[in-house]
Amino acid sequence: MTASQAGDGQALYVATSLGDAVAALAARAPHAVPLAGATWIMRAPIRQERDHRAIPYVAIGAIDELRRIDVNDHEIVIGACATHAEVAARLGGLPDCRGLAAAAGNAANPAIRRIATIGGNLCAVKFAASDFAPALLAAGARVELLSAAGERELPMERFLANRSTLIPGSLLVRLVVPRGQMRSAHVRLPLRKAGDYPVAIVSMAAKLAPDGIAEEICIAVGSVEPVARRWPHLESEMTGRKLDADRAHALAAADAGSFSGRDAVEAPGWYRVQVLPALVRRAVEILQAQP
Amino acid sequence: MTAMLPKGAAMPIALNVNGEDRITLSDPLTPLVDVLRDALFLTGAKAVCREGICGACTVMMDGKPVMSCLVPVGIAAGHDIRTAEALSGEGEPSPLQRAMLDHDVVQCGMCFPGMMVTLTDFLEHTPEPTREEIKAALVGNICRCTGYERLIDAVLAFAHRD
Repeated sequence: MTASQAGDGQALYVATSLGDAVAALAARAPHAVPLAGATWIMRAPIRQERDHRAIPYVAIGAIDELRRIDVNDHEIVIGACATHAEVAARLGGLPDCRGLAAAAGNAANPAIRRIATIGGNLCAVKFAASDFAPALLAAGARVELLSAAGERELPMERFLANRSTLIPGSLLVRLVVPRGQMRSAHVRLPLRKAGDYPVAIVSMAAKLAPDGIAEEICIAVGSVEPVARRWPHLESEMTGRKLDADRAHALAAADAGSFSGRDAVEAPGWYRVQVLPALVRRAVEILQAQP
Repeated sequence: MTAMLPKGAAMPIALNVNGEDRITLSDPLTPLVDVLRDALFLTGAKAVCREGICGACTVMMDGKPVMSCLVPVGIAAGHDIRTAEALSGEGEPSPLQRAMLDHDVVQCGMCFPGMMVTLTDFLEHTPEPTREEIKAALVGNICRCTGYERLIDAVLAFAHRD
C-alpha cells in the first residue's frame, strides 16, 4: 500500500488489493471516493466543482483483479478497472457483443479510452453521455458491488437509478454480461460542437427467429436524459414482430415524446429527442445486417 | 509502505521520465502535464484544454499515448513516462519528425508534440496505414492551424518511403 499526501492533508491512497481498497474506503468513510482511471475526477475543476483535492481518494487502478476480463460460454465478467480500450479489444471478436464493443471502442478518443475505465464511467453519476450505460442496459448486465458489509449484485437498471446512494462506502468491482444468441448495436450521434460526447445514443440487443421475428428485444437510450434508461414501449411494440427499420422509425417517432431531453451547452433537449427515431432506424439496420 | 504524513508535509513521488529517475514533491492529484512542465521543465507537452479533448499534452505512459492533463502525478508514480522530448536523439529529429519538416507540416507548434507522440505509437503498430486509419488515430489530437491534410500526406509519405 502507498499513501501520498494531498494539499490539505488528505491522502491519495494507492490500494494494491481488493481487500486493501475496501479497508481504505471504510477507514476514510464517509468521504472517501474510489479513483480508477481518474479522467472524470481530473476534470472537476473544469466543471467548477468543489476542490476535489479535499476529497480522500483511494486509487484502485493498480489492482490486477479489477482489470480482468473473463469470457466463457454463458457470461462475460468485466473488472471495474478494465479500460475502454481493453473492453473493446477483448469483446471485439465476439459476435454477440458487437454493441458493447462498439460502445467501448468509440467513446471519447483513443488516448482517453486507454485510461478511462468501465467502472469509473458508470460511477460518474453526473456524466449523462456515458456510452457504457445504455450498452450495458441493452445487454442485460448486472453490477457487483463490494463493501465492508460484503458483496451484492444488482441489475444495471437498478444500479443506474440508485447509484448516488449505493456508491458511498461501496466499490463497483465487476460487471457481468450474460451471453446468448443475441445481435446487438450501439448507435451514437457525436457533434463537432459537443467535442467527444454523443448528444444521443441508442443501444439495441435482439434475439431473432430464423424468419426475422424479434423474439426478444432490449432498447436503451443514453445521453438524452440525465440517466440512461430503457425504452419499454418501443420494446413491447417491436417484440414478436419482424424487424423493420421503417416501422421502428415510425414507432420511435410516435413515442419519442416520452423522453424529456436535457438541455446542455452541446445540444438542446428537443434536439436529442428529435434525433432518436433516426438512431433507432440505424440500430435496426445494423441488427438486420448481422449474420 | 508508508503511514499518512502530517498535514502540510509533502511526500516525494518517484517518477521515471524519459529514462531518468525523478522526484517531485507535488500534490499527488496535480496533473502530470503540470509536473512535467513546471517542475521538470519538459515543455513539449502543452496544457491546453485540460479535459482530454485536444491531445496537446499527449505523452507515453508504459508505451501508450495518454492525455497527461488527466493523469494525476500520484498515479503516474512507478510508470515509464516518455515525453515528446524523448522522440529525438541527441538533438536530431526522429525520422518521423524529419518527414514533418520535409513536408513543411509544422505550424504554430502547440498541438505538434502531442501529434508526434500519438503518431509515433500509431506507426509502430500500423506501419502501412491508410488515410482513414491515420484520421482515426488523430481523432484525439486537435489542430487549429492546418486542417490536417498536409500532416496526413506526410505520414503517408513517411510510411511508404521505401
